[in-house]
Amino acid sequence: MDPNIKEYDVIVIGGGITGAGTARDCAMRGLKVLLLERFDYSYGATGRNHGLLHSGARYAVTDKESATECIQENMTLRKVARHCVEETDGLFITLPEDDLDYQKTFVEACQAAGIRADIIDPAEAKRLEPSVNPSLIGAVRIPDASIDPFRLTMANVYDAQLHGAEALTYHEVTDLIINQNRVEGVRALDHHTGINKEFRAKVTINACGIWGTLIAQKAGVTVNMFPARGALLIFGHRVNNMVINRCRKPANADILVPDDTVCVIGTTSDRVPMETVDDMRVTPQEVEVLLREGEKLAPALATTRILRAYAGVRPLVAADNDPSGRSISRGIVCLDHETRDGLAGFITITGGKMMTYRLMAEDATNLACKKLNVDKQCETATTPLPGSEAPEQLSKKTVAVMAAEGRHGTLTKAIAETTDVVDDALVCECEHVSVSEVNYAMDNLHVKNLVTLRRRTRVGMGTCQGELCATRAASAMCRKQEQAADVKADLASFINERWKGVQPVGWGDNMAEAQLTATIYEGLCGLNQYAGKEDLK
Amino acid sequence: MADQMQLNNISENNFEQCLKCSICTVYCPVSAVNPAYPGPKQSGPDGERYRLKDPKFFNEALKMCLNCKRCEVACPSGVNVGDIIQKARMNNPHKPKLRDMMLANTDFVGSMATMVAPITNFALGLGVSKAVLHSVMKIDKHRTFPAYASQKFETWFKKNAAADQDKYSKHVSYFHGCYVNYNFPQLGKDLVKIMNACGYGVHLLDKEKCCGTALIANGMYDQAKRQGETNMESMRSAIAKGRTVVTTSSTCTFTMRDEYTHLLEVDNHDVRDHLTLATRFLFQLLDDGKIKLAFRDDYKKRVAYHTACHMERMGWAIYSTSLLKMIPGLDLVMLESQCCGISGTYGFKRENYETSQKIGDSLFNAIAEADVEAVTTDCETCKWQIEMSTGTPVLNPISIIADALDVEKTIELNKNR
Amino acid sequence: MKFNTVIMGGGLSGLTCGIALAKAGQKVAVVATGQSSLHFGSGSLDLLGYDAQGAVVTNPVEAIKALPESHPYNKVGDVAAAAAQAQTLLAEAGIKVNGRATANHNRLTPIGAVKPAWLTLDEYLTFDGDKLQCKKVALMNIIGYLDFPTKFIAEGLRKMDVEVEVKPITLHELNEARKSPTEMRATNIAKVLGNEELVMHLAAEINSKAGDADMVLLPAVLGIKNDALAQLLKEQVRVPMHFVATIPPSVPGTRMQALLRKRFEALGGTFLNGDRAVKGTFAGSMLKSIETEKLEGTKLEAENFVLATGSFMGRGLVSDYEKVYEPVLGLDVDYIADRTQWTRDNVFEAQPYMEFGVKTDAQLHTVKDGKVLANVYAVGQVLSGNNKVKLASGEGVDMLTAITVANNIIKK
Repeated sequence: MDPNIKEYDVIVIGGGITGAGTARDCAMRGLKVLLLERFDYSYGATGRNHGLLHSGARYAVTDKESATECIQENMTLRKVARHCVEETDGLFITLPEDDLDYQKTFVEACQAAGIRADIIDPAEAKRLEPSVNPSLIGAVRIPDASIDPFRLTMANVYDAQLHGAEALTYHEVTDLIINQNRVEGVRALDHHTGINKEFRAKVTINACGIWGTLIAQKAGVTVNMFPARGALLIFGHRVNNMVINRCRKPANADILVPDDTVCVIGTTSDRVPMETVDDMRVTPQEVEVLLREGEKLAPALATTRILRAYAGVRPLVAADNDPSGRSISRGIVCLDHETRDGLAGFITITGGKMMTYRLMAEDATNLACKKLNVDKQCETATTPLPGSEAPEQLSKKTVAVMAAEGRHGTLTKAIAETTDVVDDALVCECEHVSVSEVNYAMDNLHVKNLVTLRRRTRVGMGTCQGELCATRAASAMCRKQEQAADVKADLASFINERWKGVQPVGWGDNMAEAQLTATIYEGLCGLNQYAGKEDLK
Repeated sequence: MADQMQLNNISENNFEQCLKCSICTVYCPVSAVNPAYPGPKQSGPDGERYRLKDPKFFNEALKMCLNCKRCEVACPSGVNVGDIIQKARMNNPHKPKLRDMMLANTDFVGSMATMVAPITNFALGLGVSKAVLHSVMKIDKHRTFPAYASQKFETWFKKNAAADQDKYSKHVSYFHGCYVNYNFPQLGKDLVKIMNACGYGVHLLDKEKCCGTALIANGMYDQAKRQGETNMESMRSAIAKGRTVVTTSSTCTFTMRDEYTHLLEVDNHDVRDHLTLATRFLFQLLDDGKIKLAFRDDYKKRVAYHTACHMERMGWAIYSTSLLKMIPGLDLVMLESQCCGISGTYGFKRENYETSQKIGDSLFNAIAEADVEAVTTDCETCKWQIEMSTGTPVLNPISIIADALDVEKTIELNKNR
Repeated sequence: MKFNTVIMGGGLSGLTCGIALAKAGQKVAVVATGQSSLHFGSGSLDLLGYDAQGAVVTNPVEAIKALPESHPYNKVGDVAAAAAQAQTLLAEAGIKVNGRATANHNRLTPIGAVKPAWLTLDEYLTFDGDKLQCKKVALMNIIGYLDFPTKFIAEGLRKMDVEVEVKPITLHELNEARKSPTEMRATNIAKVLGNEELVMHLAAEINSKAGDADMVLLPAVLGIKNDALAQLLKEQVRVPMHFVATIPPSVPGTRMQALLRKRFEALGGTFLNGDRAVKGTFAGSMLKSIETEKLEGTKLEAENFVLATGSFMGRGLVSDYEKVYEPVLGLDVDYIADRTQWTRDNVFEAQPYMEFGVKTDAQLHTVKDGKVLANVYAVGQVLSGNNKVKLASGEGVDMLTAITVANNIIKK
């Protein structure tokens, strides 16, 4: 065998939360792991959902198994992923047009699934969450919370690496190396260098969400998935501090989640053809549905600025005996292709939800360990992620450090301990991101371009969507003079990436802001002269 | 509602209309001289998003805001930057210090002081007391306290003017404010002189309390609100008699017209339109041809107009200056509108003295260059600051008009109107 | 209050119009809603930098003739004469600029790109073609100032075959200023450096760091009120020294705004700062008066009115979920009804919304409900048909349409 080809115990394909969690679990159990992501961590559905740490209440009536899974993971992640979770609690509200009888069914189902659900007086609900629709006739308080999927994914990758795993972004798997009904590794294209590389492993785990169906195809096996697209809207600031849900059967735009400095309404739900899963643009129809329904949860949404719109695709899996896709499961699907299809060394982990990623990772890792004859228990339910350890007192308490603490937890120590005031200067003023935080992310968190920097730090995620901060961020990223032209091209690409989310909601203040951005970047700076590089992902 | 959705994107104080253009930071007088103050954009709309997420993001440095509102005047997008900052301060109150309580309670301290005015003035001017104020009370030793008058304006009015007022056919009520009452009754007398000459009787309000500017600045919001409600009640009864309420202080006027609703939630919707600055009231009467003014031939003075911050915010400097420009013997120099640095009680505090003087520096230089006999402005705290820092006397436009007025002729002109 | 002309908008177009009218003896009021787009300026003014196909323009006066009929320059008449009048107006306001309407020069942008320009402030870097008059540049930046990306600028300079050395500089006072994590902005630095003594210190610092460079470039952080300190520094630095624009807020723009306002007021104009026109009273096709937010109960009456309120970012145009409208007088607006057609997918494509604006006739009279208003004109970015970003035509449209309207009013 070619000595240049590296050999691993496990290759995990997919740098979403499932892949990152699986890589971490495998590495913690002593396996030699390689994680491959075609773009950036959390580029797919992981970064395109509500950021909701479900209590499970939403599924209690229709899917008790999912509900139980949710509440257990909810309690676990509060501990092991403390710095990614904000313990907001949530409300399930009944509006005059809803059936109040459903509330009883709902509460009983919650209790049966082990979810604490307290019926509270509508007046009390209004006191707890002043933004809630004041015409509500019923309210139930449940332990929903918000969770940041970008941080969660990054913390898993980071810890996997601390346990010896290797991780590569912008490496797209082009095909699988199959020898005598055994997957022995993968070939991948490095998007930055254009080089094709080969990686070998005893076990390959397909953790690619909806794209997993394509990876399975490359292996010659069929995993029947049904892409369910969901669109969401981000509002400019927090309207609510508790998650607000409608107490009725799940429908469009019935969850409003406070996420960091913003709040997010969603989702729509539409089956879409597989060919469209890479098209993430939100349509005017989706915007309309989200607004119309969203303002029923919190009327203030009607007069609050929408920052941007985005969409993701849920990986729904059809049961093996039902190719029509009618019997869809939202539960976790872990496929051993050896027993299922006679293809050894290949596992697909899919289905599930962002917040049940740890369980998914555990299932996949258990299976991999079994195949590799490794007998080691899963410890991810009790070992905190890096950043979620017991907090220490930081040397500085500036707003930028406090904001960074919300993003990096205990790892903020490295950001707070700066001696030069230049490092305390803010790059992104909306989101309080300092030079020091950018440097930290550059050094530790696989920052390859401005879009990845945004996912690690929230640079450009605030109300100005990069108008003021993007040049500063690009300048901070440009460490060597030779990189300048490339970084400027990145900057152009970043401004375009931000625009894609703004465009579907491009009216009112957004239009004024877009014009100012164009005036600064094209008019004043001539950034258009550097545009043309393909979109950053 | 769904049909109207997203037609108006308006958050509280319009903070989401902020385009992050940073223009407000260009016009903030504080951040340029004091790097510890995060500036209006960061303290206002940027900080607000984080404070909505978690109140722990409140930053004590917000107290360095002068509440001059120049950020709001500069904002092209209508964001109430100053109000956002003041609201944040209100949501994070601290127990005021004795010093702040003393500075803020202008009418209580004023009443006490006027009773024993010569002693107070003597004591406040004394080196030893200044040292005590400086070190114990943390009131800066460089400050000259405005002198207290020996007779309150209200006392003078009741004794010397009240009886005559009913003989006029038209009437106004006068909110004189603490400064006129305790420190400078002459301004009140000047107003009575002008109004009477124009055929208007002047009346005090049933009950007048300090407008609350200083209380707001020093975090005593409840007291400010109570006093505001009393004032609105008194004004309502004056308005019911068909009287406009006039003032001679831009800051009192601004507070009662705008801060009452924006910050204190004191309802003034039925009062606001009837509460105005005397110069504006006079100008509008003149503009509508309802009164006429005649000025002395022998009046001659070169004066510079300083636009006080709250005057700038109200946009009313045009009224005062248009009136002043009518005086033939007045050579009026317009100073560039900028903050003098005192901001009410702010500059009196030892910790703010240096910032306060640095802010005013550019204005003081402009005054020196203008080579004038006096400065005129509609705000009494600017008067203290400018007089202390430049030695140039400062007069309210009303006092200049009163001085230049040909009373006999004016009475004649307005007789049968 | 009675005026000859009331102008709504106090930016470049409004003040240009106001100055031209006041100079002709008119009694003029300007109602300015906050500060203007000049604060995002580069220190240069554009007339026409690119033609409709995106090609670089060398002679704007000639190239303007080829613009589509809908472009507001077609209502200016003699472009060269109006441009000359604009240049005189700037000079009389104390804004010293260099350049010609028949020959663009180049400027260096805050990220090191090269863009054509019409007029540039005297102390700012300009060049013809891609030739800088030097061999080695000392590119200086103030430590802790983030809005001047030196590596980006150096990359642009090197493309022009000059050697570049990046030199961080500072002064004690600037070290103090940068203790603020956010307020180390160009305009605040200019305020800190606001006296002659510090400029002398700065000159010494620059001279000590310039090495063997034969040109010094500095971010535009000096001279916020006028050009005196900037010129002083230039005199004190031992090699040719020029400023390069920064990310906003812009020092040269703030200066231009202040000087134009000063000039307008010196000519007897009334500048209502921070106020906003809210509605008008019409008699037939004539506007009689307007009312403002602050001056309740006072009508501003005039013979003529000029709308100079800017485009979307100046809030002269407003869009919502359903429509685009002119918020003060409800004037007719040229725009596409279908919201999905307002924008294009790629941010660097020509965005249709950039050309939205109020409808005007050949004399720049506005239109309301299909009827031409005889005494209401529009100038600057609120006009339809001009994509200032794609054409690099912003300031030219502002000034030339303003001068045209002033001339039209004076001629009446």
